[in-house]
Amino acid sequence: MSDQQACESYRDAMSRRPALDRRSFLLAGSMGLVGWLATPKTALAQMALRPEGERDSDALVVIFLRGGMDGLNAVAPYAEEEYYRLRPTLALGRPNDRTKAQSDRVIDLDGFFGLHSALQPLAPLFEKGELAIVHAVGSGDQTRSHFEAMSAMERGLSGGTAGSVGGWLARYLQATAREGDTPMRAVSLTSTTPDSLLGATHAINLYNVSEYRLEGEQRFRMQLAEMYGSGEDAISIAGRDTISVLKKLDRLDPMGYNPTGGANYPDSELGQGLKQTAMLLKNGVGLEVACLDRGGWDTHVTQGAGTGWLASQLDDVGRSMAAFAMDMGAGMKRVTVIAMTEFGRRAYENTGLGTDHGRGSCLFAMGGGVVGGKVHAKWPGLKENQLEGPGDLAVTTDYRDVLGEALLKRCRIREIGNVFNGYAPSSHGVFRA
Amino acid sequence: MSLTRREALQLGIGATAIGGLAGCRPAVRYVVGDGLPESFAAPKTPNSPAMRLLNRAGFGPRPGDLDAVEQLGIEGWIAQQLIAEEDEPIDLSLAMSQLDVYRIDSKELEDLPMANVIGQLQRAQLLQAVYSRNQLRERMVDFWSNHFNIYAKKPDAAFRLGRDEWNVVRVNALGSFPDMLRASSKSPAMLGYLDNQLNRKGAANENYARELLELHALGVEGGYSQKDVQEVARCFSGWMIENRFLKPAGKLRFEPDQHDDGAKVVLGQTIAAGGGEKDVAAVLEILVEHPSTARFLAKKLTMYFLGERSSSIERSISETYMESKGSIPAMLRPILLSQEFLNGKPIVKRPFDFVVSALRATDADVTGKYNLNDSLRKMGQPSHEWPMPDGYPIDTDAWTGSLLARWNYAIALTSGGLGDAKPRLDAVREKFKGSDADFLTTIFFGASSSEGALAEVTPLIEEALKAKGENRLAEAASLCLSAPQFQWR
Repeated sequence: MSDQQACESYRDAMSRRPALDRRSFLLAGSMGLVGWLATPKTALAQMALRPEGERDSDALVVIFLRGGMDGLNAVAPYAEEEYYRLRPTLALGRPNDRTKAQSDRVIDLDGFFGLHSALQPLAPLFEKGELAIVHAVGSGDQTRSHFEAMSAMERGLSGGTAGSVGGWLARYLQATAREGDTPMRAVSLTSTTPDSLLGATHAINLYNVSEYRLEGEQRFRMQLAEMYGSGEDAISIAGRDTISVLKKLDRLDPMGYNPTGGANYPDSELGQGLKQTAMLLKNGVGLEVACLDRGGWDTHVTQGAGTGWLASQLDDVGRSMAAFAMDMGAGMKRVTVIAMTEFGRRAYENTGLGTDHGRGSCLFAMGGGVVGGKVHAKWPGLKENQLEGPGDLAVTTDYRDVLGEALLKRCRIREIGNVFNGYAPSSHGVFRA
Repeated sequence: MSLTRREALQLGIGATAIGGLAGCRPAVRYVVGDGLPESFAAPKTPNSPAMRLLNRAGFGPRPGDLDAVEQLGIEGWIAQQLIAEEDEPIDLSLAMSQLDVYRIDSKELEDLPMANVIGQLQRAQLLQAVYSRNQLRERMVDFWSNHFNIYAKKPDAAFRLGRDEWNVVRVNALGSFPDMLRASSKSPAMLGYLDNQLNRKGAANENYARELLELHALGVEGGYSQKDVQEVARCFSGWMIENRFLKPAGKLRFEPDQHDDGAKVVLGQTIAAGGGEKDVAAVLEILVEHPSTARFLAKKLTMYFLGERSSSIERSISETYMESKGSIPAMLRPILLSQEFLNGKPIVKRPFDFVVSALRATDADVTGKYNLNDSLRKMGQPSHEWPMPDGYPIDTDAWTGSLLARWNYAIALTSGGLGDAKPRLDAVREKFKGSDADFLTTIFFGASSSEGALAEVTPLIEEALKAKGENRLAEAASLCLSAPQFQWR
């Protein structure tokens, strides 16, 4: 007897038990033990798999760089004199500045911007046109609070969190839901589910695929399927999703996964998260959205220039993203990776040789559909009258324009609708249709 | 080696003095005759308000606790818990007295590996939540240690955290909010975590100032500006952490030369020049008296205890804050005594709530290894390991991904797979008057097995109980812990 049959016959056996008293169950719902309502609906029916074939839209991989990445040193405007005046210690050298060690010089991108030397692994992708950079990008958030700014971005808002709205990716998933969708449409490979997936029912938090196993005996899974079979509360729905994901992962061998193309992922959370993302994508589990985190960008003190704190952060991002691209190989044609941060950092360095919370930063977009090899920017400049507030790079591109363009041109959505709470994104030519 | 609490008190032995005996005790557990009731039975009424109360104001019932609430009455129990002067089980006091993190200064703690120190901090929080009779205080420790969150893995933080948890959070958890805020502003753990040792005259570091306004006092909608953040940072300039030779390392130190002593304007109020180290008190005075602080705490407490906003309760709490000058028990009363508290929609147990309530329901013995924190890590909520200063999230959606780890925990706990936590199901069962099924639904759900809400669980429990072998109770218990109904409180 197959698993499936065993499960079915177990369900049959269980359904012969004394009939549930729906009425008392519903009445009990207002107090104490239950606040969820049961509607007779077979959850297991949702486990039908959509046949995997050629993707008709991109899988979206969103890396959130939490803590405020210093965009001015990740992708430095080395042709601006002001940059060197504002950052006497932290500024990176020009590409041809022979007085500096190679690690302290940027890699030239377009004669104006240069890539931090720690991002060297991304340089070939930029050259091949598979990586685009958007600069002076950000939200309308003026609080310069990590939590406000992240929360606004993850909810698809300009700023603030007025109204308890869910995440932008949750709304995207909802807008594109169709019959037979798998519960693995979205995964977060993070310690907790990120706000961008708030309200997404078929999103699962995996953290580590190889540890995603259920202990106990086979009948425990069936008992769980029974207990989580019909509730419409958030936990019951999540339970059903968890059970179906377990079934899907049964046939994968995460420990034995070998990246292809000579890809060498760093042993970091981001590197390993991207490796698992690649494995899931290649195994056709129906993944459409993956969320990953990379924290540690809050460089208030001694952030370093070509080497040091910020450099080691960037090194991880560069090597992880490059390994992912290499591993996915031709599969990158239908993948869009976006690495974004909640805000950039102050244009001038502080006396602790770090930088405080700012506004505009940069964003990386990688994949087969990006208009790469280009830094997309309406550059606001770094002169005193060009900076915003206490001395921050102004935001000239709304982050929602970039995300919206990716969704419209690369992903499964036709109209942006309510994904950004009514905001209609403009296209800046970062992606090809 | 058993010594009842009374004997220990009569002998006049302090907890530290008997610490030496504790080596013979493998586990923390209640003193015999004090822990389990003579007998207990299933609740007679459905949807027991006592169950809701114990789940929300504490970490769920231990066997017999429902009856104790019935006897005291809801209001009586709340009044008792707000005073929080219940004697602690002596085994808990012993276990706590053995921990270095509450006793030893940060400098000496640095001789221990950081992982050991973090393990002690986590164990302390877990054991107190499981075994303390002052459940509401422990609930508030959970709330405040997230409100004043400090990431234990930031350099030096772990060694300073024990003192912070004791002097800032525990002492004031059911005391005065202004006192707690003042204590936090003098905590080396907090000022170190938020970089204030780098905040000097002419070289401000805004990190602490910003989080003080945004997360600790006014809230992000509290009406302050970027300029206010900068002014508050100037007030805190010059507060360093001692690191000079032969000085009391790790203590807070005010360095007048590094203090910006000019006049400041914070939230429209002028702090005169020359205030020196008194600037901090002046800033805190402005913050604790500000109506935004009252509103912010009202909103946060309401979200924590009800899981949703309530304008009438929030208004009541914030008015109480202003009238009582920030008395925490006074602020809690409008929530705990509200109809919404006992009747509103359920809120999800965070992993810490889940683990603690499971250990309480099963009257588990816990020894001193760290596997329980491994379990919490797999569920995403190891204590003191949230890196950002806003504390672990409270919304349901943040935790729906932790179910698999909870199920695995249920299996491991009930089958003896967690060597350091042993449920005492058989011992508790002996005290219960009623069927096996009623026993399990009573300890886990505070309900009889015929309760409508358990219609999908009870048949599975009964099925498991029909099996032969001595593990039948354990297997049925694993189903209870895994059930959706056990994930809510």
